[in-house]
Amino acid sequence: MPDASDIVFRARGLTKVYRNGALEVHALRGIDFQARKGEFIVILGPSGSGKSTFLNIVGGLDRASGGEVWFEEHQLTALGEGQLTQYRRDHVGFVFQFYNLVPSLTARENVQLVTEIARRPMRAEDALALVGLQDRANHFPAQLSGGEQQRVAIARAIAKNPEVLLCDEPTGALDSATGIKVLEALTQVNRAVGATTLVITHNAAIRDIADRVIRFADGRIVEETVNAVKKQPSEVAW
Amino acid sequence: MVIPPLRRKVLRDLTRLWAQVLAIALVLAAGVATLILGNGAYSSLYETRARYYEENRFADVFADVTRAPRALLGEVAAIEGVLDAEARIVKLGLLDIPGMVEPGSVLFVSLPETGGFNRLYLRLGRLPDAMSAEEIVVSDGFAKAHGLGPGDRLPVLMNGQRRDLRITGVALSPEFIYALGPGQMMPDPRRFGVVWAPRAALEAAYDLEGAFSNLVLKLAPGANPDRVIEALDRLTERYGGVGAKGRADQISHAFLDAELKQLWAMVRVLPPIFLLVAAMLVNMTLSRLITLEREQIGLLKAIGYTSRAVAQHYVEFVLLIAVVGIGLGFAAGAWLGVGLAQMYARFFSFPYLVFTRDPQLYGLAAVITLAAAVAGALYAVRSVVKLPPAVAMAPPSPAVYRERGAWIRRVLNLRQTGVMVARHLMRWPFRTLSSTLGVAMSVAILVASLWSFGSIDRMIDITFFRSERHDAQIVFGTPEPMPAVFAARTLPGVMVAEPFRQVAATISHRGHEKTLAIMGRPADPRLSRVLDPTLRPMPMPEAGVILSEALAEALQVRPGDLVTVAVQEGRRPIVTLPVSGLSVGYVGLGAAMEIGALNRLMGEGAMVSGVSLQLDPMQTAAFYAAAKTTPKTELISVTSLMLSRFRDTLAENITVMVSVYVILAGIIAVGVVYNFSRIALSEQGRELASLRVLGFTNREVSGVLFGELGTVVFLAQPLGWVIGYGIASAMAAAFSSDLYRVPFVVQRDVYAIASLVVCAAALVSAWAIRGRIDNLDMIEVLKTRE
Ligand SMILES: Nc1ncnc2c1ncn2[C@@H]1O[C@H](COP(=O)(O)OP(=O)(O)OP(=O)(O)O)[C@@H](O)[C@H]1O
Ligand SMILES: [Mg+2]
Repeated sequence: MPDASDIVFRARGLTKVYRNGALEVHALRGIDFQARKGEFIVILGPSGSGKSTFLNIVGGLDRASGGEVWFEEHQLTALGEGQLTQYRRDHVGFVFQFYNLVPSLTARENVQLVTEIARRPMRAEDALALVGLQDRANHFPAQLSGGEQQRVAIARAIAKNPEVLLCDEPTGALDSATGIKVLEALTQVNRAVGATTLVITHNAAIRDIADRVIRFADGRIVEETVNAVKKQPSEVAW
Repeated sequence: MVIPPLRRKVLRDLTRLWAQVLAIALVLAAGVATLILGNGAYSSLYETRARYYEENRFADVFADVTRAPRALLGEVAAIEGVLDAEARIVKLGLLDIPGMVEPGSVLFVSLPETGGFNRLYLRLGRLPDAMSAEEIVVSDGFAKAHGLGPGDRLPVLMNGQRRDLRITGVALSPEFIYALGPGQMMPDPRRFGVVWAPRAALEAAYDLEGAFSNLVLKLAPGANPDRVIEALDRLTERYGGVGAKGRADQISHAFLDAELKQLWAMVRVLPPIFLLVAAMLVNMTLSRLITLEREQIGLLKAIGYTSRAVAQHYVEFVLLIAVVGIGLGFAAGAWLGVGLAQMYARFFSFPYLVFTRDPQLYGLAAVITLAAAVAGALYAVRSVVKLPPAVAMAPPSPAVYRERGAWIRRVLNLRQTGVMVARHLMRWPFRTLSSTLGVAMSVAILVASLWSFGSIDRMIDITFFRSERHDAQIVFGTPEPMPAVFAARTLPGVMVAEPFRQVAATISHRGHEKTLAIMGRPADPRLSRVLDPTLRPMPMPEAGVILSEALAEALQVRPGDLVTVAVQEGRRPIVTLPVSGLSVGYVGLGAAMEIGALNRLMGEGAMVSGVSLQLDPMQTAAFYAAAKTTPKTELISVTSLMLSRFRDTLAENITVMVSVYVILAGIIAVGVVYNFSRIALSEQGRELASLRVLGFTNREVSGVLFGELGTVVFLAQPLGWVIGYGIASAMAAAFSSDLYRVPFVVQRDVYAIASLVVCAAALVSAWAIRGRIDNLDMIEVLKTRE
């Protein structure tokens, strides 16, 4: 049984309903979930099962319809718009499928964008070095490959030394070799920074690099596996 | 009816982008409205005047004499080029209305003969009986100001005699469309009226039996007015003629001309600015729309739409915007036109206004506007139409940014969001520049209209507080010997009396000549002074003449040059005098001499034309009453009344004008800023939403967009000031005439107010866009690729 002070996230009875006129979509139907400090969790599940919805609520980008989510001592489900922004700013690093880099800023500047507003950031160069891109610091996103862009996005996400790192299909737009590099960057960062990391993926093979694997289906967590032994990203077969 | 799909898309785009469409349409509308208003008012004024002159036989040449026998008329009519001539009696009288404390004057004019010139347009009542000694017709403005009508009595002083005249009618005359009384700077219908009376009555009152005091001539078509005036002057010389005037120097006509000139200047300046800005806006907006729809365009072409059809689709979109703008512009132009016509009706006395709703003008405005819009559109459409479908369907290659301007970043100590702003602005230099220019134009329009307040203040300050410091002036009917000054000094309330002598003369220099009144003043005048360009009072020269800058310019002389002065009165001496200095002055042309020197030149002894007075403020009423009944008094002018009238009239007109300009400038500013921000938001919405995800607050994210906007608005200010200064100085030059000069001063507050107004308009646009930034959908941008 994990020590209570070790728990970073707690979710209880989390639900999310989208209403489009008369039509109701139950994206989440009662999620109970916990994550420990430094844990690397992979989230699997079919399309439309509510993975992104869950991650967005946990990341403070979206609001739940019912239930509660706690981040350390903050109840996210009770926070206002401004407080959620502050929460994202101080504690959360995001990585998304489409990188979402600012095209008018170089790699270093994209990282600095975050370090400038963070409370205890690392140096932008160090963050880029963590993902192996120290040599490309002065390149604009348009001058980088997809995988490189994604690694810049990871560097940007971890540069603030976040407590949590949330990744929604970080390898979704990449080929396997590039995907492995990105995953390596993620695991390395997870180890170096000690950030609790949640990674959504469609690639079941990735499960082996996680501490724990959660499977979503139809708005519920239907399966939870703890890996006794973690594999290196380079060892998994795509 | 089946609407083709592309047409339906046009309509959907219009409704979807309604705010941007409206902003562009309003700028176009402003261009259309000013074009129609300016041209419409111009032709309306021009046509009205032409028709009025034609129908009421406005004369071509005007001449005053002291007293000439009627027999002279035959000789005048025989001058080559003269079609017909009419002898009149024109004399000043004083108002003696009980209860009216301040002095006022009337101009008596003998009724036009049957078939004569300057015929009256009778608005009320009937013409006087030719045999009657007391029946009169009064001018419309004067009648209104006093609430007079047929049957009422008008007490006046004619030639010093009190008379109680009976009004039989109210009329207008083409001679007094702009009814400026003698010694006045602005028409004041309460204190000046025209009274038409039968010739016999005036002959009797002014001892002019068998004689006349004024001539009006109609010229044969093609006659040379200068030649006729020369011949006429030779004939009238013996009878106290002071030089005939053509229409160009006739007060009412000249003021109308000045107004027409101003309208013409407005027509040439304003509409092109609006159309240019609108074309830039169309270009900006359409370029963005086309970029967003690039893939659709590729698809359309792939399935067989021709480039032409695609281009036509976008041009149709723009044409519809233009049509909205033209519609709004027509409505605004027509509405403002009525307003302007009403303003003219107050300012000018016309019996009617020919308000031309010339379909050609509307058609022309529409065509020019459509052309401007389409020009903006074609430039944007050209690039994408040329693309092969396959290339168009692929997403556009990402915008190439360069790490330029690192120094800006160091100098300004920019954060990354600041760098985003700078790079984005530099990435689209054409758009940045044209938006800056657009905002600058709105600043410029404001500078070009607001400066007139300061200019008038200066005109007032110099004219009324530094030069003409007297409280009142009495002008005698004919020059009086010097003791008249002492008589005036003894009138109740008079504290200081200072004589002046006024002599009509033609001053010439190397082929340039001007006829005006030379003012003789004491060597060191206290009340009525002339100022040098540094505003120091100038002593009157012992020998030589001081010319106003305007006159010096017209004659092309500098201090030290010699001018020929041909006096048009008395013995008519002709002398050569040195120009001893130049003076500032904004009303009319001016020449000044020492009164003794002027009297020596005239050789009539020590004479005065009138006195300038400083009054005891407690006794003005007593003074007015006494001065009026002094037999020699022909005219009393009161500075404070003149000044308040001057202020009121100008304040009213300028306030109307400036409000219109502020609205126009606001339209440009809002139009440009709003479109610019909408486009920037559409381009950067994704990045901004990403920033929100990263934990940037709404305020910080808006800051990125507003930083861009702010930079454009900021850069536009100095540019706008410079352009505005240029337009203003061109306007000052265009507005200046022999009647008045407009002092060109642009005070600092003009720039400040212009900038504040434009910044306020920019803030309004920013506020309108703020909601869109606050509601950026963070989750949406995470789901989609750009
Ligand atoms: N804004 C929305 N409005 C309505 N329904 C929505 C909205 N966003 C998501 N949904 C619905 O909620 C459900 C869960 O969506 P979610 O994006 O969480 O799925 P997901 O597991 O991330 O799927 P994928 O693997 O395809 O990304 C889906 O049925 C989806 O259609
Ligand atoms: Mg998803």
